[in-house]
Amino acid sequence: MKGMKRSLALILAMAVALMCAAGCAAGGDKASQPPSAASTAPTQQGGAGDEAKDPIRIGLSTPITGSFAENGIGTQAAVEMAVEEINAKGGINGRLVELEIQDSKSDATQAAQIATMFTEDSSILAEIGDFASGACIAAAPIYQEAGMVQLSPTASNPDYTLQGDCMFSIFGKTTDEGRFIADYLLKKYMGAQNVGVIYVNSDWGVEAYDILSGCCQDNGVNIVASETFFEGEKDFNAILTKVRQTNPDTVMLMMGYDSGAVAIKQIRQMDWDVKVGISGLAYSEQLITLGGADCEGVLSEIGFVIDETNPEMMAFATEFEKRTGFAPNMMMTCAYDAMNMLAQAIENCGDDVDRASVRDALAALEGFEGLTGPKTFNEDRTITQRNFKIVTIQDGAWKVLTDSDYID
Amino acid sequence: MLLEQLMNGLGQGAIYALMSIGYALIFGVVGLVTFVHGDVIMLGAFTAYYSFAYLGSSLLPALLLGFLVSDGMGFFIHRVCYDRFFNSPRQISLICTIGMGMFLRNLVQVAAGAESKGIPSTFGSGAVQLAGLRITYKQIFIFAVVLALVLVLTVFLNKTRVGMSLKSVSMDKTASALVGIDTRRTTTMGNMIGCALAGVAGVLLAVYYGTITPTMGGNIGMKAFCCAVLGGVSSVGGAAVGGLLIGVCENLGIMVFSAGMRDTVSFLLLIAVLLIKPEGLFVRRSR
Repeated sequence: MKGMKRSLALILAMAVALMCAAGCAAGGDKASQPPSAASTAPTQQGGAGDEAKDPIRIGLSTPITGSFAENGIGTQAAVEMAVEEINAKGGINGRLVELEIQDSKSDATQAAQIATMFTEDSSILAEIGDFASGACIAAAPIYQEAGMVQLSPTASNPDYTLQGDCMFSIFGKTTDEGRFIADYLLKKYMGAQNVGVIYVNSDWGVEAYDILSGCCQDNGVNIVASETFFEGEKDFNAILTKVRQTNPDTVMLMMGYDSGAVAIKQIRQMDWDVKVGISGLAYSEQLITLGGADCEGVLSEIGFVIDETNPEMMAFATEFEKRTGFAPNMMMTCAYDAMNMLAQAIENCGDDVDRASVRDALAALEGFEGLTGPKTFNEDRTITQRNFKIVTIQDGAWKVLTDSDYID
Repeated sequence: MLLEQLMNGLGQGAIYALMSIGYALIFGVVGLVTFVHGDVIMLGAFTAYYSFAYLGSSLLPALLLGFLVSDGMGFFIHRVCYDRFFNSPRQISLICTIGMGMFLRNLVQVAAGAESKGIPSTFGSGAVQLAGLRITYKQIFIFAVVLALVLVLTVFLNKTRVGMSLKSVSMDKTASALVGIDTRRTTTMGNMIGCALAGVAGVLLAVYYGTITPTMGGNIGMKAFCCAVLGGVSSVGGAAVGGLLIGVCENLGIMVFSAGMRDTVSFLLLIAVLLIKPEGLFVRRSR
């Protein structure tokens, strides 16, 4: 009996140890398991007669777990797809591309640690990531000091690229989006006069709110209440009660799908007849999965939708969905574009490939046409985003409102 | 506005109360803080999610399953974390509970996935109007469940033999053993009941918030601990009042300041109480 108990305890102890290991694996190590791209790299080295060339190594820092997991997983899949396509065509100037993937959980500390890891590895040439502006800004000084490109597919905080000349973003800035939300989404389409704004207390959220409130001041839409909360909040009842007191006709949620779904549910449960808008950050299948029927009729905006008449985009979307089980959004498609832009820049470097030349080539890159539109960097290494559309949730799916427009 | 925020606070406070009553029970019988409580609550929440997914939107099976699953988990936790270590240095059990917490969190992440899960809304937007005050069906349901459990627990602790031996063990383990109480069985029982209450609290949280994540346990376990300490750690009634108090203060705090201040308000309250009355609000100073 006693022996049995002892062995039972032993088995349990081992199970605990195993689970911990598994948990870590879901975090950090999952990333370093060889992505399909990396595994193909050593096998098909160079062409006929070429001596074996070192692969071009690119770091990818993205939230594969945590609140933005869907975006991180999608980003990883999109970048891997781009790398596989590049390698299938023989790589860049005869050198294959290899990815080093790390899970940042969209956490600033984690992103900075990954930055240290990447920059200390002299074989890594440039980095793609991170997802959130806050994480990018935290990692920026480290990449800047090492002179390594940090190319974020998604950071939209205008302060991010001001951290140094190695910082690039191809998503457009919150300023572009704020103007569109204020002028088109709120004023023109929702006919809002008094708006209650609830925004997430993050670098992105505070910035987005500041810009939005500035734009609303210009166009005459009143912001009657503004409330903020920290990432991970599950109970919006108190905030919503407070906002409701100010009697707004529209509630604008500046947050991701995670918090957005909770807030929308709780608005509906309050039996509050109010129009609800949500920032493009929440444009995701997950919002519908989490929010269910409560999300019907919610309006949002997005700078990108899958154009079914574009064969290149459809090929990408089909393959992406096959791999991940969900449709790509703008952020994931931007990740695909980011990898291709980086490859183009490295190709332009010719034989002189190092961290500095890649940076210069990327800054000088012109006329790149990505799936998410033309990409040429402004002075501050950002892209001006113009292709916004208004979207809504109808019958459990996102629909583009065709009469939406955006005149620059 | 004030009344409505008060209702919000009481709704949340009722769930906190249930979590901290469980905490107080466990603390009472094992005489030690536990770090696995938040994850048992999370387990309850996920049980509710799967119950809604496979057994329809009815609340009764969710509550029952939440109760049973975490009850069994309580037994398991007791056997792994406490049973063998009652005569060992106390930090061993404590570290065991930390490990068990990690185990549960990771188990759920592996089994259910790391992403958030949505809970279907069972109550819609239904509510009763009472003199201008709006009380949602959801809030009424939460009050009813918590109140019923507290009543049953009170009767159990004061009127049944097992309940009384539970109280006796939490007062003095050695003396209880001397008068013939099976302390091993009783501590197991205390753990199971404490965890079962945590599981039901998890089900209620899932219904109340509408989305759940495998990592939700950390912060929530901390809240349960706070409420229990506020009321006087091993006092069941104190824990209940502590939970309500923190729930209400948080929501009033949001009304006056902002939602970012939620945790600040509750922890400040705790610190203030500990400074003035270190043994907690509802424990008479012994000696």
